[in-house]
Amino acid sequence: MARVLVVDDAAFMRKMLADVLGKAGHEVVGEGANGNEAVEQFQALRPDIMTLDITMPEKDGLAALKEILSLDASARVVMCSALGQESKVLEAIKSGAKDFVVKPFQPDRVVDAIGKALT
Amino acid sequence: MTTEEALLKLTGSTADEVVEVLGMFCPDGVERSQPTVLPQGAEPLRQIPLPAVAASVSYVDGVTGGNIFVMTRTGVQRLAAAMMGMDAGAVEETEDLSELELSAAGEAMNQMMAAAASATGAVLGQEVEIGPPETRFFSSPEDAADVYERTPHMTSVGFTMLGEPCRLVQLIPNAFIVRMTRALAELEAETVSSGAGVSGTGVPNEAIRAVPVRVWAELGRTRMPVGQAVSLPPGAVVELQSAPDDPVQLYVNGRHFASGRLLLVEQEWAVRIDHVLAPAGPATTDQGGAT
Repeated sequence: MARVLVVDDAAFMRKMLADVLGKAGHEVVGEGANGNEAVEQFQALRPDIMTLDITMPEKDGLAALKEILSLDASARVVMCSALGQESKVLEAIKSGAKDFVVKPFQPDRVVDAIGKALT
Repeated sequence: MTTEEALLKLTGSTADEVVEVLGMFCPDGVERSQPTVLPQGAEPLRQIPLPAVAASVSYVDGVTGGNIFVMTRTGVQRLAAAMMGMDAGAVEETEDLSELELSAAGEAMNQMMAAAASATGAVLGQEVEIGPPETRFFSSPEDAADVYERTPHMTSVGFTMLGEPCRLVQLIPNAFIVRMTRALAELEAETVSSGAGVSGTGVPNEAIRAVPVRVWAELGRTRMPVGQAVSLPPGAVVELQSAPDDPVQLYVNGRHFASGRLLLVEQEWAVRIDHVLAPAGPATTDQGGAT
């Protein structure tokens, strides 16, 4: 079981992720709706792992990822991308994200990605 | 290629991506009609059934323009249910939409337009980035009249989603369609010229068509002294001399064959071919790329 921070601008996606992760035995300790909230919540909560959407208002997921990793190089971040965002995914992985899931995602794939990134 | 042909091609390919993404939520529940070019000065949302929910997405990088996807209230409720893995047919219709249902509509739009932007980017030969979706509720024609900026070109294509009508309107500035027309014309010219090459000596005869070949994609490469290479510990990071959006190179049995873009298809990497190299000389023996 891990303490997870979920960041996505769509309330719908935050709920879906929280449901999937809750059922898998993880605890969702916080949520964020943009890149600024991602960084703030990461600092305040220091989660074991976080999911981070790429396309978000104010500050996108890539900018937030880089900021979070500069605060804590060991932060575990799993990116959430839509179809067609391959180059963003590559940049995120190159920057230090542990893994990624592509929306619309299968619950099993999300749980797998979180499980692998925690090991 | 005329402007009208380019507009119809753009909206047709966007509509295909819409069907593909919506189809993941509701298999067999989505059909599309043929796109049309709206007359200049038309009110793009005049024909929609009201009340309606409109989710819009703009491009933020690469090109300007916008996309509006309009759904009925029932359509949004059914789509949200399908996205949550529930039975869309069993949705109890209500007067008001919940925040979660509106958010699901916005999220679906985000996923559809990300896929469509990728398809457009492949034609233009550059990445096209989208902004976050904005969702609005319209109860009367006046509500919808002046919300979106008019552009010189507008297209419209209808869909049926889970039994409900919906519509995609694309707002397309002049500069976008000029670039699109040019890029499509170049693609056509390339297809014709490479087609001529293939019909000559490039296609193997029947006897060797069944021979299996090794195909690999090269993401990037680098150089280092052998001493450094053999002492790389697990966990070492080897930087490759390529940017995240550089094309990947495709090799067939050691011959540099094509270049293209990385894609994800059902959670697996794939390559969309952008350029096929002209058949030439003996195969390169270069097999040193990192893959």
